Amino acid sequence: MDGDLRIGSAWTRKVSFRFDGEMLTASEGETLAAALYAQGRRTLRTSRDDDGPRGAFCFMGVCQECVVSIDGRLTEACRTPVHEGLVVESVR
Amino acid sequence: MSDYDLIVLGAGPAGATAAIKARSLGLRVAVFDEASAAGGQVYRAPSPARTTTQPEADQRKGDALRAKLATSGAVLYANHRVWSLTSGFSVIAIGPDGPLTLEAPNLIVAAGAVERHIPVTGWTLPGVIGLAGATILLKAHGVLPGRRVVVAGSGPLLLLVASKIIAAGGEVAAVVDAAPRAGWLAGAGAMLARPDLMAKGAGWLLTLLKARVPIHSGAAIRRVDGTDGVETVTIGPVDRNWRPVDGTEPTIAADAVCLGFGLLPSTEVTRLLGAEHRYEPELGGWVPAVDAALQTSVPGLFVAGDGAGVRGADTAPLSGELAALGVARRLGHAGDLASQAATIAADWRRSGRFGAAMSGLAMPPPGAAAMIDAGATVCRCEGLSRATLDSAIAAGARTLADLKATTRCGMGPCGGRVCGEAAAMLIAAATGWDRQTIGQPSARPPLRPVPLAAIAAAFDYDELPIPAPAPL
Amino acid sequence: MSALYDLAVIGGGIMGSAAACRAAAGGMRTIVIEQQTLGSGASGVNAGTLSLQIKRVKLMPYAIKGHELWEQAGEHVGFHKTGGITLAFNQREAELLHERMALKSEAGAPVELITPARVAKLEPNLSRKVVAASWCGEDGYANASLSGAYYRTLLEAAGVDIRERTPVTAIDRSGGAFELATPAGPIRATRLLLACGAWLKGAGAMIGLDLPVRARVNTVSVTERGPALVGTVIGHATGLLTLKQKPNGSVLIGGGWQGTGSPEQGRGSVDPATLLPNLRLALFAVPGLDRFRVVRSWTGFEANVPDFYPLAGAAPGVDNAFLLGCVRGGYTIGPYIGALMGDLILGREPELPLFDPGRFASTASEA
Repeated sequence: MDGDLRIGSAWTRKVSFRFDGEMLTASEGETLAAALYAQGRRTLRTSRDDDGPRGAFCFMGVCQECVVSIDGRLTEACRTPVHEGLVVESVR
Repeated sequence: MSDYDLIVLGAGPAGATAAIKARSLGLRVAVFDEASAAGGQVYRAPSPARTTTQPEADQRKGDALRAKLATSGAVLYANHRVWSLTSGFSVIAIGPDGPLTLEAPNLIVAAGAVERHIPVTGWTLPGVIGLAGATILLKAHGVLPGRRVVVAGSGPLLLLVASKIIAAGGEVAAVVDAAPRAGWLAGAGAMLARPDLMAKGAGWLLTLLKARVPIHSGAAIRRVDGTDGVETVTIGPVDRNWRPVDGTEPTIAADAVCLGFGLLPSTEVTRLLGAEHRYEPELGGWVPAVDAALQTSVPGLFVAGDGAGVRGADTAPLSGELAALGVARRLGHAGDLASQAATIAADWRRSGRFGAAMSGLAMPPPGAAAMIDAGATVCRCEGLSRATLDSAIAAGARTLADLKATTRCGMGPCGGRVCGEAAAMLIAAATGWDRQTIGQPSARPPLRPVPLAAIAAAFDYDELPIPAPAPL
Repeated sequence: MSALYDLAVIGGGIMGSAAACRAAAGGMRTIVIEQQTLGSGASGVNAGTLSLQIKRVKLMPYAIKGHELWEQAGEHVGFHKTGGITLAFNQREAELLHERMALKSEAGAPVELITPARVAKLEPNLSRKVVAASWCGEDGYANASLSGAYYRTLLEAAGVDIRERTPVTAIDRSGGAFELATPAGPIRATRLLLACGAWLKGAGAMIGLDLPVRARVNTVSVTERGPALVGTVIGHATGLLTLKQKPNGSVLIGGGWQGTGSPEQGRGSVDPATLLPNLRLALFAVPGLDRFRVVRSWTGFEANVPDFYPLAGAAPGVDNAFLLGCVRGGYTIGPYIGALMGDLILGREPELPLFDPGRFASTASEA
């Protein structure tokens, strides 16, 4: 999917973060799940059951589909605000 | 000595209003919420990443609620995940600063609702998101679910999400509503009680008509296809009982799907604390049994908002006030609380009819289980298909606990919150049993996954309270 | 007039089912009556640990036989023989370990003491604070969740009738048979076996027995699936930790920490005050668990009598009635002692002696 899905409005300053080594930007305070989804990075991990791609689903901390690893700890991307220098790894 | 007279779980419209009311009656009140600010799902605070916008009605309401709560004197523990409770009551949470346990003799659970899902083949693809999730993306985060979106499922969120997508400049490829068009008319009687909300709904519909969005009533998604995400969506007709029937099955190009079938009351806390529950389809499913003050069968345990039965955000504040009055009366506060409560209760019942009618509209009839293909993944956490669950049911599984034991359905990190309804629908379809007989899933701590390191925190091995070893 | 069974078993757990299967194989017309569903009690919710290192010395021959039966059940019950390591983290625990493992070894368990260096080689992700350890190659685990489904298959194959969701509300004797009252109507049988775990006290009272049965409320927790950390069953010198990682990556943590509630109240609850040290002990033993999230903790009732030995034999003073339960290590030993019980009911000499409930012979009428 191309382009940015953010709806036109003023956004806070851009911060940089890493997702699986790739440098990306987000608006400061955006949740990780929203920031990644908005720029088309919708696949957050690979299912260990069917090897299929998985991404955020409920955006409210229930479904656990958007779990990523930050500092070695599993965390819901939809409940994690992005800040400068955040390093995020996908999990299986 | 308890830390507070009352702890409120959830700072949405019901919980925040309950806390404000209880404070106005002089109670010492604490409020817990997982989010970083009060507001709940409907009045969720906008992402701090968005600096300016013309606030819309829901946001203004949310801002007013947040301001009122902030000055009420209630202590808000935001960003706190409550993962367990014990009777009496202890509330056990993990927050940004580590573990926190607080005690109070009264608890108002205003935990809201989660979405009901009926799985379809391909719904695990990135770009398929919940309807409720879509409202959060659109309203709080200012992000479109996709460029060209299929909005599918049942209930009023279909129109809300579709109209928001259009208003934000996205395209809605189709609205796919499992309910027949006649279903909406059947609910119209109750809706007339709330002309304001009727007008809101009519506004959404008008937006869709203007944008010439195809609205398919009595239809459902057959499958979603794509490689790395949603590419096409195939839909087809369903009968009045939501069973797929023969007919044209158009395939629609789309990059996202918003999918949901109404809301389910969140009852984990009341189940964990052993309250009695009843199955009330018109209120979204299992709800705690309550008295006139919204007190459950467990003394001191009250409920408010959608967690007491899905009646909607407009009704929620009234239930919050009612529960707060109930707590104050239980604590022996004097005054005309009884007559106040009677007035609010009457308003609440009147107002609740609209929400309940909407909730009923979204409720799948028993035939809806036929919408789930044998190959569709039902339990997303454990990757279990309908066929796998059906064979476990054929081999004797009759409860959600049985299914969990034999297949691990619901054993993953979501704890069955996404798949539990579908699993119960499959048992009902195979056995012909009603939902009361099949029963509820058991609630166990932690109520959400919690990092072991966060629970354990720092400790000294030599101070672990090791009991005497077992006999040789 | 309802049919007359040769044997009615109250309790569809491992022991009741195993006894029913043996009795049916011996020609008895048998029925199992379960208040919930097969294996829904302790049989289905325990941690599934099969460790000879935590078995009582006197029960070791039974436990060894139990291991053999679970191994034969194999993949139907998720059996894995991984070996098990028991850890000591200080001198006091090391002494306890040495003393206990010597006795268990004498009793026939193939247990040996191993050095911390060997522990590190076997399980590189364990704590480096181990000061002493023991190893048993026979140890492993099975998936207790599958107990109900496994015994359903065996009971059906043996021709045993199964009544689930059927609480027995009263037991009368008429015409030389027991008549069991249930919401679904009476059930009649010439012999009766009470094998209903933590509910044994209430069932015993229905035939006039005052059994000194109490229930422990054991806590078990499971994490979500994660990277491989350990392959063996991990224990602690005090017996207060059992930990194993399933092939799917989830880690099961037990050890008998006590929750709240009772069988009479109908439910047990996890007590955060005991869950905390349980998880801390697990984290101390396996530091890599700090990357895991706990997804569920639950409790199961484990019945016992004051001497912590089984009730297994004829009911004192009640002809044709039998009792089976309160077996410490009941998951491991259950299939075997259940079969022995079946033999006793069939009038055969059990291969190993049973545990006469008559040692607590005080009936309600005498009391």
